[in-house]
Amino acid sequence: MFLSVDLATRLIDVLGALLLFTMLLILASGQLFRAIYAVAAQAAFLGVAGAVLAAATGNVDLWIIAAITIGAKAIFLPWLLLRVVRRVQISREIEAVIPMHVTLALAAAIVVLAFHLNASLGPVRQAITGNALPVGVTLILIGVLVMASRRKALVQMVGLFASENGIFFTAMAISQGMPLIIEIGVILDVVLGALVMGILVLRVRSSVDADIADLESLKG
Amino acid sequence: METAVAQAFRTAAQAALLVAAAPLVTGVVQKWKARLQCRRGASVVQPYRDLAKLLRKGTVQADTATPFFRAVPVLVLAATVTAAAMLPVLWAPAEGAALPLGDAILLVGLLALARFLLAIGALDAGGAFGGMGASREMTVGLLVEPALMLAVFSIAVAGGTTDVGLLAARRGSLAVAWQAPDLLALFAMLILALAETGRIPVDNPDTHLELTMLHEGMLLEHSGPGLACIVLATHVKQLVTLALVAALFLPLGLARGAAPAELALALAAFAAKVALLAGFLALVESSYAKLRFFRVPQFLGVGLVCAFLALALRVL
Repeated sequence: MFLSVDLATRLIDVLGALLLFTMLLILASGQLFRAIYAVAAQAAFLGVAGAVLAAATGNVDLWIIAAITIGAKAIFLPWLLLRVVRRVQISREIEAVIPMHVTLALAAAIVVLAFHLNASLGPVRQAITGNALPVGVTLILIGVLVMASRRKALVQMVGLFASENGIFFTAMAISQGMPLIIEIGVILDVVLGALVMGILVLRVRSSVDADIADLESLKG
Repeated sequence: METAVAQAFRTAAQAALLVAAAPLVTGVVQKWKARLQCRRGASVVQPYRDLAKLLRKGTVQADTATPFFRAVPVLVLAATVTAAAMLPVLWAPAEGAALPLGDAILLVGLLALARFLLAIGALDAGGAFGGMGASREMTVGLLVEPALMLAVFSIAVAGGTTDVGLLAARRGSLAVAWQAPDLLALFAMLILALAETGRIPVDNPDTHLELTMLHEGMLLEHSGPGLACIVLATHVKQLVTLALVAALFLPLGLARGAAPAELALALAAFAAKVALLAGFLALVESSYAKLRFFRVPQFLGVGLVCAFLALALRVL
């Protein structure tokens, strides 16, 4: 117990605000590199949030999870994504399925939805977490929005990571840490998924010069 | 409880300070920008020289312009200076002051009025570039003003008033001024400040290239003392925006009384806050390129959603 509950709540709230801001940067970025840097920053903030919770609750597992989060999600995965981007030499512009202002309006709607939902989930909220539950739900849903509204597979991966960050934040804040083995399993899943998708993107790119949107034309 | 006369005097003194210092802030931003780009740059008093030069020149006016056109610069300057009078610069107002000066909604409204007058003047002169500049400026204004209101409201909810001075005073006296929503509101305000001051991702204050200018396009038809009024209004608007950010987010160092030491401290604190924000403007302006105009709504949309999030975190 290095931190008082009050200070931890405030720190988690501030980190939640930073997570939301990086999420907006991912959603609104017009360039692939910026989205990847933003998701790396988001994972770093998530790791710091884990460390704050660990200090506040004295849960040793959370320290390990925070370290793994920063190592795997803030450093390794962005590095992998940047490497793939350089290798396939795709255009750096992000192509959106729907116009950007519609996406931003949807994001605003998601925020209202998440906070409205939060009001009916009163018993789940705990003293230490503050606004973590609606923030986490917002992150998950906006991550899904990124995945749904972008054409490029790599940006969809960024959306997946962001969504996963949201799930992590919610889980950490509400249950004050799931069992270590589950958290590690989840992170491994994400890393594995990223590796498979990265390799797939490289292979698809090298064998057929195709875009995800081109797959539409395969439908009978 | 102070008298209304004393309060009016202080308000006028603060507005005068803002108007007098506004060209200097522009000069400082230009100087720092030049230094960041490894140029020597013009002296920081160059904006004053430009204003003095313009005041000595004669006025010419388009044949198509109506008599109202001549009144536009004065009205723009008047609206902007009135907006400047509403901000707490040196003094924090006492609770229950005699004159309720400093409402944030009126402040934003006055800035919108200045913008509207400028656009009307540009359309009145009948030049093609003026019309184009006005159209673009109003498009930007459409995105900036609601976001600005949302950001101000998110602070006002915490302070329990929409009076900027009282907000600064109450938050300055509370140790717990900073909460998570403030962070998002600050990000939103920094994005909006770039647009409000006509700085680079949105507008380029240095360009007179027809296709890219927003604000400058509306000034093309003005000349002489009229142009001087509008240019001064632009400087003041920039400082008003910076002072608004400072009052809402850095409400420290405001004087309570009239002791010289206290006033000197308040002046130094205000200078430091404005210098910090001016440094931010210079840094952004040197490190980013101007956005294509159709990308601007996307950039400002981030500010809008940020401000919305700040309000949601505070209220919901």
